[in-house]
Amino acid sequence: MISNKPFLLRRLFAVSLLLILLLIVTMFMGISIGSTGNDLKTVFQLLSGGKVVDPMRAAIIWEIRFPRVILAALVGATLSLGGLVFQVLLRNPLAEPYILGISGGSAVGAIIGILMGLSCFPGVGFTAFAGSVAALLLIILMSSGQSILKKDSLLLSGVMINAFCSAIIMFLISMTQDAKLHNIIFWLMGDLSMSDTRQVVILAATLLPCFLILFLLSHSMNLLLMGKEIAQTMGVNIKYVTMILLVVTSFMVSATVSHCGLLGFVGLVIPHMLRLTLGPDNRVLVPSCVLGGGAYMILCDLLARVLPEYGEIPVGVITAMIGAPLFIFLLKRSRQ
Amino acid sequence: MGLSLEMKSCGIILKLLTVHGLKLEIGNWKLGRTVQKHEGQFPISMFHECLLNLIILLMLVALAPLTAGARQVTDQLGRQVVLSDDPQRVVSLAPSITEIIFALGEERRLKGATRFSDFPPEAISLPKVGSYVQLDLERIVALKPDLCIAIKDGNPRQTVVRLESFDVPVYVVDPRNLEAVTETIIEIGDLLNAVENAADLVNNMRSRINRVKSAVAKISHRPGVFFQIGISPIVSVGTNTFIHELIVLAGGNNLTKGPIPYPRFSREQVLFLAPEVFIITSMARGEVFERVKLEWSRWHEMPAIKNRRIFLVDSNLFDRPTPRLVDGLEVLGQLIHPELLEEQQ
Repeated sequence: MISNKPFLLRRLFAVSLLLILLLIVTMFMGISIGSTGNDLKTVFQLLSGGKVVDPMRAAIIWEIRFPRVILAALVGATLSLGGLVFQVLLRNPLAEPYILGISGGSAVGAIIGILMGLSCFPGVGFTAFAGSVAALLLIILMSSGQSILKKDSLLLSGVMINAFCSAIIMFLISMTQDAKLHNIIFWLMGDLSMSDTRQVVILAATLLPCFLILFLLSHSMNLLLMGKEIAQTMGVNIKYVTMILLVVTSFMVSATVSHCGLLGFVGLVIPHMLRLTLGPDNRVLVPSCVLGGGAYMILCDLLARVLPEYGEIPVGVITAMIGAPLFIFLLKRSRQ
Repeated sequence: MGLSLEMKSCGIILKLLTVHGLKLEIGNWKLGRTVQKHEGQFPISMFHECLLNLIILLMLVALAPLTAGARQVTDQLGRQVVLSDDPQRVVSLAPSITEIIFALGEERRLKGATRFSDFPPEAISLPKVGSYVQLDLERIVALKPDLCIAIKDGNPRQTVVRLESFDVPVYVVDPRNLEAVTETIIEIGDLLNAVENAADLVNNMRSRINRVKSAVAKISHRPGVFFQIGISPIVSVGTNTFIHELIVLAGGNNLTKGPIPYPRFSREQVLFLAPEVFIITSMARGEVFERVKLEWSRWHEMPAIKNRRIFLVDSNLFDRPTPRLVDGLEVLGQLIHPELLEEQQ
């Protein structure tokens, strides 16, 4: 693995370049098209630095669509990366943040925040993070000591916590007055529409370092996949790396969940798609998950905005509706 | 509320300026003199003019946030809103507000409304900006509104904040009872320069309310009313709602009064309450109504069923804070005390 470093670098460069191009194209589409029609020409004018005729269109593009596109990219990147990390940690192809109950925990926290009438940020963000940390602590406690390394015990405690969180969510919904029910249900279905520039900047500032940490750990992730004995002999402190991966990932996921609710399936589809096309090397997969997941989420959000005549389809519905068939198709082809 | 004192003083300044033959360019904040004669002959008067210029400049700086034709008002949440004194592009962020603007006869100002703004029928053809709980910010901004009227219950707070970041003035209303609805109508009338229409509308509402009140004053018995607004689960209304207020005004006794605004009930609890008048309204319309009515009709022990006093009503008359609440009140009056209103006619 060390001997083919130049090859790896070339490969990383080629893949990243391709995905960056894809991301730029989707971002361009994302800011050009919206519920009040498409502004391809205005966007070209804006990007080429020319004078824009209508300042209102410019405001719509920069202050409504642009933060939303960036938010979608960040969320897509976080969820796919989260999926990748959990798949490596648990060596289970079905793992994603939801399976471990991290999303569930932050959802419970966020709903409690909404019910308490807190503002979306930082109020609900904080309760969501508290919820996910509580879920994480419970998971670690349940599978404490050496058994944290056993994938089954981690997965099982995750499933249990997830089930428990769903029950709490259902309980809270059933007790809720109609006026707040709307908020919670929209939020549970995943909603990217509430993004303003300041919030997106804060979110980006919290997420980008996490991406970097995971990229730096990607070689250890490769070794972890080879089994704990091999990893240990190759000098990986398994417990330490596992803890860092868990904490960083749950922090990222709770930050996005508090912003835009539960968006399922992204963490499953993107890592698998990329693994099927690019191979299992995590040093390539981590950056490509960030770029590819971002592009995928921007496209899904674009569809969510454009498809219905009035209002929006919850973007969570779109990610699942596109993701599931695509995933099945790729899986089938790879087996042939 | 109303024209602020500053606006009046602004008018006085403009008069002063014309008296002194001064040229004023508000756009560039430039003050200069058009009268150049006798310059140098009366240095004292020049000093005076300079002083006057300075004073005027200072006053204009003090008024800087209020450009010509603007005024500052306080909305129902106590927020300061600076808006045009003659808004021409109004976007209504709730069906009830659309109704009020139409009732005031100011629909020509209305450039956008929300998805379920369906009354009067003309409102359906207005450009839509999402539903009132899920507003489409982009569509609102694209309409270039010079005033948005929002409602506290329903409109997401964040959308209001973001609209303001686009320099769109948002006036928020929060009517909690019938009296507050009349105040809201008067305030919106004032915002849209329809003060007289608003006063007429409110007077008409008040006299109709008083007619029901005086009819109800004679009653000796207040029948127990169960007002079902949700089908599954069964939901009724607590004390702090429009419907409770209307039931009481119409001479009924709301069996589900209490601190919870929209309490839920099991079928068993409803039977135990033994309502004498049973009224069903729901967001879901059409056949669902009939089915629910049929279901309740099995319980012959319930006084309302025994006396065939189970009714279906149009929910829009009861759940929107508009002038039509008075229609709702009259409907309720007829259903709860048919004997009184017959007497009146």
